[in-house]
Amino acid sequence: MSQRNERSTPPELEDVTHWLIHHAARRAPESLSSRLQEEWFADLESRSSALSRLRFAVGCCWATMVIASDYPRSRVPASSPVAAARGFVTLIDRNFGYFSLRSGTLFLIAGLHAALFFGLIATLSHTRGLAAPQDLQHIVVDPVPPKTLPPQPPWIEVKDWMVRVPKPMITEPRNIEVENDPTTEVVEKSPEPYSPPLPPVTPTRAVQQVAGGPGAGFPETADFYPSVSIHLEEEGFSTVRVCVDKTGRLTSAPTTVKGSGSTRLDEAALKLARAGSGHYRATTEDGQAVNSCYPFGIRFQLKK
Amino acid sequence: MGKKDANVRMSLQTLRVLEVFLENPTEQLAGADVHQRCGIASGTLYPILLRLESAGWFVSQWESIDPSSAGRPRRRLYRLTSAGLRRASEVFASFNRGVLA
Repeated sequence: MSQRNERSTPPELEDVTHWLIHHAARRAPESLSSRLQEEWFADLESRSSALSRLRFAVGCCWATMVIASDYPRSRVPASSPVAAARGFVTLIDRNFGYFSLRSGTLFLIAGLHAALFFGLIATLSHTRGLAAPQDLQHIVVDPVPPKTLPPQPPWIEVKDWMVRVPKPMITEPRNIEVENDPTTEVVEKSPEPYSPPLPPVTPTRAVQQVAGGPGAGFPETADFYPSVSIHLEEEGFSTVRVCVDKTGRLTSAPTTVKGSGSTRLDEAALKLARAGSGHYRATTEDGQAVNSCYPFGIRFQLKK
Repeated sequence: MGKKDANVRMSLQTLRVLEVFLENPTEQLAGADVHQRCGIASGTLYPILLRLESAGWFVSQWESIDPSSAGRPRRRLYRLTSAGLRRASEVFASFNRGVLA
């Protein structure tokens, strides 16, 4: 049915092809070995090209593996010298009848992975437990005794805190007599005691403090008496609060602490307080001028 | 070779081999002939031929020629048995009904 074709196969490739078929036939079950070899060589003659013949030979090798796994093990004599040379595939087929070739290969690969894994784990655990090398042990000197720190003082438990704050000393404001003024009289008087904000808790010694007030050159009250108030004969006493620096100048706008009852007089009192900037006496503490705020009264009174 | 019919696995390649033989059930074909007709590679073809022979579907014998006079080696020829013909026909009939046996 098939004709033998003229071939121009390289001798080396032809030798490889023949060797593969011989090799495949030898690995086949003994009862089939000679038959398959003759059959395959006969069928090889139908292939013309070198590549086709080589593919045929390679296919015979694969066919041998499949046939060896299919062939009943009882048919293969264990003591056969041919079978003994067939290698690992036949060994699996003979001795591990419950496993196919694929299963045997799979178990083999899985076993190798498991062995590598456990070997790695065992190596790591062994490495962790190793002592330091001998050279390193020699380098280590005697341990330095720890520094002895001085004993810590015993903690004192304070159950109650009490800070005594000294009472601020406030000097009584004094009256300022305005001389040579026939119409008005300015009286510096604090209508009510002023309690400055408590300083932060700083227990200190008592400070001799002298409150400031209008000083020399302070404007005259008559100069700021509103003409309307004079006409209406308005009189009153207005208390203003000023903040003064060390030089007697205002640091902020004065404010009315207690009005006189007349808006005009209160505004005139604020105007007077602003005009007096630079003429205030600074508050002194232990003789030293300090910035301070304090109130003082301005009386608008017509001369009888 | 001792295997039962039930062990024949009806793969696509097995069906193609049977189909080649069913074209002329009395014809004897070598492995090379089957390869030329259905294109199945040798690595798959020969295990199928041996399985079917082992299951009793095929019988095989050497070609009755004189290799020296023919100028080529004798080939192994396969042929369907009567049991093989019946079983193969049943398989293809089931296949045509849509149910593979």
